[in-house]
Amino acid sequence: MDTKTAFGKIISIIKPFVKNTTAFGAATDGTRIIEDLGVNSARLVDIILAFEDEFGIEVDDESADRVRTLGDAVQMILQKTAPAL
Amino acid sequence: MQEAVAQALILLTYFSLEGWLRFRRYRIPTQRRIRAEFAALVGDERGPLLICANHLTLIDSLVIQWALAPGWRLFVRPAWFTWNLADKHNITKNVFVRILGYLGKCVPVLRKGPPEEARRTLDKVACLLSRGQSVLVFPEGRRSRVGRVDTENFTYGVGRIVQETPSARVLCVFARGLGQREYGNYPHPGETFFVRLKRCAPTTSFRGMRGDRDLSTQIVGQLSKMEQEYFENAILDR
Repeated sequence: MDTKTAFGKIISIIKPFVKNTTAFGAATDGTRIIEDLGVNSARLVDIILAFEDEFGIEVDDESADRVRTLGDAVQMILQKTAPAL
Repeated sequence: MQEAVAQALILLTYFSLEGWLRFRRYRIPTQRRIRAEFAALVGDERGPLLICANHLTLIDSLVIQWALAPGWRLFVRPAWFTWNLADKHNITKNVFVRILGYLGKCVPVLRKGPPEEARRTLDKVACLLSRGQSVLVFPEGRRSRVGRVDTENFTYGVGRIVQETPSARVLCVFARGLGQREYGNYPHPGETFFVRLKRCAPTTSFRGMRGDRDLSTQIVGQLSKMEQEYFENAILDR
C-alpha cells in the first residue's frame, strides 16, 4: 500500500470524529489529530481500533500513543502492513 | 504518605464536610438503607473495590462517600475510604481546595493531557487497587454534558483499570439530585439525592484497547440502566 492510499483511508476513518471541519479540509501529514482536528482524545481509541479493522493490523499501546499527526498514523500503518522480509 | 495523613485526619475531614453538606441542606432520605446495602455488598470481603459512578457535579464523590458510610466506619475500615480521581484543575484552584483534595484522597487527573499522563494515572489506580484499596471513578470521564449518563461520549479508562486488576470488585453507584436537570458545579441548596448501588461483573473476551472499550461500555451501560430505573422510580425516594 502506498502513502496516498493509506492517507485517503485514514481520512475517511477519522472524518466522523472531526470537529474542526475547516482544518480537516486542508489536512496534511503534519495535521495534529487532537489539537488541529478537534478529535476528542477518548475517541482516539475508536480511531485506532478502526485502523486495526480496516488494515488488519494490531496496534499496541505504545504505538497508539505515538500517533499524534495524520503522518504518524500513515507511517504506523505502512510499517505494520509492510510485508516481512 | 497521603494515605496516612488522610486516614489520621479522617474524622475531622469527614465531619467538616458533612457539616458543610448539612449546611447546604442536602439530604439522602434513604441513607441508612444505602449504608446497610453497601456494608452488605462489600461486607467483610477484602481486596480491591472499584466504585463506578455517574457524574454531574463537582461534589459527586463527596455525596457518594457520605451516602456509603459514616465517618466512624471510615476510621475503623480504612479500605472504605475511597480514593477519588479528580480533575487536577478543580482540585488545585486554591490552597483550601488543594488541602481538601489531599485529605479527601484525591488523585489528580490531567484532563485532555497526553496519553502518557493518562497511562500514569491508570498505573496509580492499578497500584492502589493492588494494595486492596477502594477507588471511586467516573467512567464517563467528565461531568455528563447531556445531563444523563452519556452512553455516546465516554472514556475507556475504567475498562483498562478492570483489565489490569481483574480481582477488583466493581460496584456501580448511581447518584443524582432530584432537582438536577443538567451538569453543574454544585447541586442547589436543599437538594435531595437519589442513590442506588449495584454490583457489576463486566467480562470480555477481548484484550488491549478493544477490551477496554468492551468493559467500559458494559459499566456505562449498567449506570445508564440504573438511571432509567431512577426516572421510573425516583418519586418513591422522596
